[in-house]
Amino acid sequence: MSITQGPLKPQFTGARVTRLEDARLLRGRGRYLDDIDVPGTLHVAFVRSNRPAARIVSIDVEGALAVPGVHAVWTAEDCGITLYTERYDVGQPVLAKDEVRFVGEAVAAVFAEDRYVAEDAAERVRVVYDALPPVLTFDEALSEEGRRVHAHRANLFHHTEHETDGFAGAFANAPHRAQATFVTHRQTGVPMEPRGCMAQLDAATGRLTVYVSHQSPHQFRSQLTRLLQMPENQIRVVVPEVGGAFGIKAMLYPEYLVVADAARRLGRPVKWVSDRTESLLADAHARDNRHEVEVAFDDEGRILAVRDHVFGDTGAYPFLGFPGAVGEAGWATSMLTGPYKIPHVSITVDCVFSNKAPEGAYRGVGGPVGAQVQEGIIDLVARRLGKDVADVRRINFIRDEDFPYQTATGNVYDPGSYAESMEQALALIDYERFRREQAELRRQGRYLGIGICTFVEPSAGAESEAGSTPYEAASLRIEPTGTVTAALGLGPSGQGHETTMAQLIADQLGVDIKDVVVIHGDTDSAPFGGGTGGSRSGTIGGGAALRASQEMRQRLIKLAAHLLEAAEEDVELVDGHAQVKGVPARAYSVRDLARIAYTDVARLPEGMQPGLEVVVRYQPPLSATYSNGTHVALVEVDVKTGFVRVLDYVVVNDCGRLINPMIVEGQIHGGVAQGIGSAFLEELRYDDSGQLVTTSLMDYLLPAATDVPRMRVTHIETPSANVGGFKGMGEGSLIAAPPALAGAVSDALAPFGVFVTEIPVHPRQILEWVQGGVHSA
Amino acid sequence: MQSVSESAVAGRPKTSVTLVVNGQRHTLEVEPRWLLSDVLRHQLGLTGTHVGCEQGVCGSCTVLVDGQPQRSCLMFAVQAEGHEITTVEGLTPEQGLSPLQAAFERHHALQCGFCTPGMIVTAEALLRENPNPDEETIREVLSGNLCRCTGYQSIVAAVQDAARVLREGGAVDTEVAAQGQNEAAGGEQA
Repeated sequence: MSITQGPLKPQFTGARVTRLEDARLLRGRGRYLDDIDVPGTLHVAFVRSNRPAARIVSIDVEGALAVPGVHAVWTAEDCGITLYTERYDVGQPVLAKDEVRFVGEAVAAVFAEDRYVAEDAAERVRVVYDALPPVLTFDEALSEEGRRVHAHRANLFHHTEHETDGFAGAFANAPHRAQATFVTHRQTGVPMEPRGCMAQLDAATGRLTVYVSHQSPHQFRSQLTRLLQMPENQIRVVVPEVGGAFGIKAMLYPEYLVVADAARRLGRPVKWVSDRTESLLADAHARDNRHEVEVAFDDEGRILAVRDHVFGDTGAYPFLGFPGAVGEAGWATSMLTGPYKIPHVSITVDCVFSNKAPEGAYRGVGGPVGAQVQEGIIDLVARRLGKDVADVRRINFIRDEDFPYQTATGNVYDPGSYAESMEQALALIDYERFRREQAELRRQGRYLGIGICTFVEPSAGAESEAGSTPYEAASLRIEPTGTVTAALGLGPSGQGHETTMAQLIADQLGVDIKDVVVIHGDTDSAPFGGGTGGSRSGTIGGGAALRASQEMRQRLIKLAAHLLEAAEEDVELVDGHAQVKGVPARAYSVRDLARIAYTDVARLPEGMQPGLEVVVRYQPPLSATYSNGTHVALVEVDVKTGFVRVLDYVVVNDCGRLINPMIVEGQIHGGVAQGIGSAFLEELRYDDSGQLVTTSLMDYLLPAATDVPRMRVTHIETPSANVGGFKGMGEGSLIAAPPALAGAVSDALAPFGVFVTEIPVHPRQILEWVQGGVHSA
Repeated sequence: MQSVSESAVAGRPKTSVTLVVNGQRHTLEVEPRWLLSDVLRHQLGLTGTHVGCEQGVCGSCTVLVDGQPQRSCLMFAVQAEGHEITTVEGLTPEQGLSPLQAAFERHHALQCGFCTPGMIVTAEALLRENPNPDEETIREVLSGNLCRCTGYQSIVAAVQDAARVLREGGAVDTEVAAQGQNEAAGGEQA
C-alpha cells in the first residue's frame, strides 16, 4: 500500500509537549507492581546465600514451616527450573542446587501470609555450607591453579580476537606509543522502584497472569513459555507502571520463575518485591571491566593504531541471552574508535566467571567503558605531546565528507556532527577563556579542569538487551466515537512513550493529542514487540507509530474522498476533520468517519473493510543509527579534602529529528547525573572474602541534588535515514559523562602528574595522588 | 519491602491505633512492628507513598507528620497515633493539580514518577516554611530525596517556579509558564 506523505504541518512533533503520563503520577495514582493487592496473596521472602562459594550440605526448613502463617518453603528440590545457556554450558538453578556461587544467590523461598512473617520464617531456615575458596578477581579466574566457578568448565568462557590487516606494521612503525590500563568498577542501575513480580492463576481458564516490573513484556512472556513449559496463549504478562529500569529490568531473574511457578502450583496469588539490600546483592551488576590499552600515534597526535585487551567479569552465571561482560566488551570494543578515524585496531576479549553477582545490562552497557578508553587515549596522546586535548580531537575526528564511515571495528556510521558538536560545546563553556583562568587559578592554589567526551551512541540496533527483535509493532484503532487507541510492544519506565508516540500519531491523523491513548505492557492487548532497551523505542517504536498512523490516515482520506465525492489527493486532515483542501465547509469529522466506518457500513467505498484498525510492524533500513554529541565538564578538585565539585556542564546533543526536546533533555540530565555517580560515587565493593559490603544506599552512593550541577543542553539535528529521521538517545549521556568527568579531574590535577584511568575516583584516592606524588600515565 | 495483607496471621498480637491521615480518622488493628509506610499503603490503600529502600535513605516514602517531612519507612504506625499525617493524596486537589504539581508537569520534573510523591511532599513543606527559597536551599532540602531519572535540574526549576506562582497568588498562566520554560532552556544556552 502506498502511503500519502501529505504536506504535514506538525503541531506536536518536535514541540515541548507536556506529558500525558504526568497527571496520574503527580497525584500519586501511578500503579506500580507493589500497588497491586489481591486478596489471598502469598508473600515471598528469599533465603539468600551468605557465602560467595560453598557446597550446600543441608537445608532444614522445619523451623520455618513451624512459623504460624507460613504456607510453604521451597528449595531446589521443590522448584527445579534452571536458566541454562547452551553456548557456555552453564545453568543457573532458580534456587541454588548443591552449590552456591555468589553472596545473595537465592537458596530457598518462604511463602507466607505477609512479608513480615515470611522474613521471620526465612531466618529460621538452616543452611549448612561447606565453604569453597571464592574466585574474586580476573587474575584468580584466569590462573592455572585457580578454582573453577563451575567445576565442569573453565572460568574463561568467552574469548575473541580481531585485528585489522596491517595492524602490526602500523603499530610497529608509529613514531610514538603509549600504554594505559582503564578500569571501571562494579556499578548497577538502581531504579528507585525495586524489582518485583506477582503471579496468579485464573482458576476458570487456567491462564497464568504474571505482573512484572520489566522492560520487555513479550520477551519475558517468551521466556516464561519456554521455562514453565506452558503454551504462550496461556500466559499473560502485564507490566504496570515501572519506576525506572535502566537496563537491569530487561533481564530474566530467577525470582520471577519461582513466583510464577508457585502461583501455578500453590493455587494462590504470589508476590515478591525486592528490598533494597536484595537489589544491591542480586540485581544485574555491570561495568566490572579492565582494558589494557596501547596506542600508537604520530607527531601531530594522529592516532594510527590501538591495541586493547579487555577483561570482563560476568560474575557467577550468564543472564539468559545477555551475559553482561560479553555484552559490555562487545559494545566497548565495537565502539572503541568512537568519533575518530583510527585505521587500525587489535582487540582481544576475555570474559570470565567469578563468585560475584551476575552481570547484565545497565544503561549504556559497555558504552561508558569504551568511551573511557576512546577519550582516555586522546587525552593521553595530548599529554605526551604537550598538545591541547581539543586539538588532538580535531585532528582525529571523522569529518562530514567521510560519511557513511566504516570504522576499523566494522561499524558503518550514518551522518553525524562530531566536530561541530565539540566546537559548539567548547564555545558554550568558553574554552579559551577557561584555559586562561585555569592558569591564573592554579597560581592561587585552585585546581580546575575541563574534560571532553565526544560520544557516538549506536541506537535502534537489531540486537540489544531487549532481545533480537529488529522491528517494533503498533496497532492503531480509531474507536467508533473517533478517539484513537494505539498499542505498542514497548516497555517504558519513565521515557514518556505515551506522550511521544501520541505526538506522532496525532500529527498524522490531524487530531488533538488528548484524543490519543497509548497502551503498552500487556501482552493480551499489545502486539508482539521488542520492548525497551538499546535506545530503540523512540526510533523503531516511533517508526511503527508513524507508519501505522500514516496507513490509518490513508484510510480516513480514502473514506472521506468517497463520501465527499472528491479525489483523494484533494482531501486533507485538519483539526479533527477530513476536508476538501481549503474548503472547511466540505468536511467530515474524524468522529463521523469513525461512526460510518463501524455502524453505517453501507456508505463505505467498495472493497473497504468496516472498522478502522491497523497493525504495522516497522523494521528500520539501517542495522543501527548512530547519534552523537559532546559533553564538556568543568570541575574543581579540592586538594585538601579530595572532593570534586562539578562547576559547569554543557552538552551538545545530536539525536536526529527531535520528537520532544523537553523529554530528550530530561533523558540527558538524568544520564549526566548517573555519570557523576559513575565517576565519583558508585561502586559495588566486594571484600577479600567475597562479601558485598555495599548493601544499602548509605554505602552504594547515588548522586543527590547537591551533587549535580545545572547543565546546559543544546541540540543539533542530523536526521537518520530511518522513518521520521529519529536516532535513539537514551544512553549517550551516561556513555559520555564518565569520561568527560574523569578527563576533567586529570586536567585539574595535571600539575601533580595525575592521569585518571580508574573510576569511580574517590576523595581518598585524590588525596593519595596529591600528597603521595605522581600517578603518571 | 514489606506487605501487610488483610488476612493477618491468627494469634499474632495486634493493637488498636487511631491515625489521622489527610484529615480523616482511621481506627485500625495493627501489629506493633508494622511500618507506617506499609500501613498507609496496604491498610489504607494510599499507594502514592512509595517505598524505595526501607533504609531511610531514598526519601520516596516521605510523608508529612504534623507538617514536617518524615520517612514513613522509619516509623512504626503505632508511633503515628496522635499526629496528623499527610500523604501526596492529601496534597492533591479534588480536581487538577496543586501549584507545585502543575509546576512539576510544566518543567518535566518527573520521569518514572516513583520518587515524585516524596519530592512533592518535601518541596511542599519547604514552600510552606520558605516562600522564596534560592536554588542552593532547594537543592539542600531535596538532597534527602533521591531521583535516578531527572538529574534534579527540572525538579529544582519546578520548585522555584511553583514558589513564584504561589507568591503571585496561585494563578498559573500555562501559556506564559510554558514559554518561560522554553526561554529558560534557551537562556541557559546563552
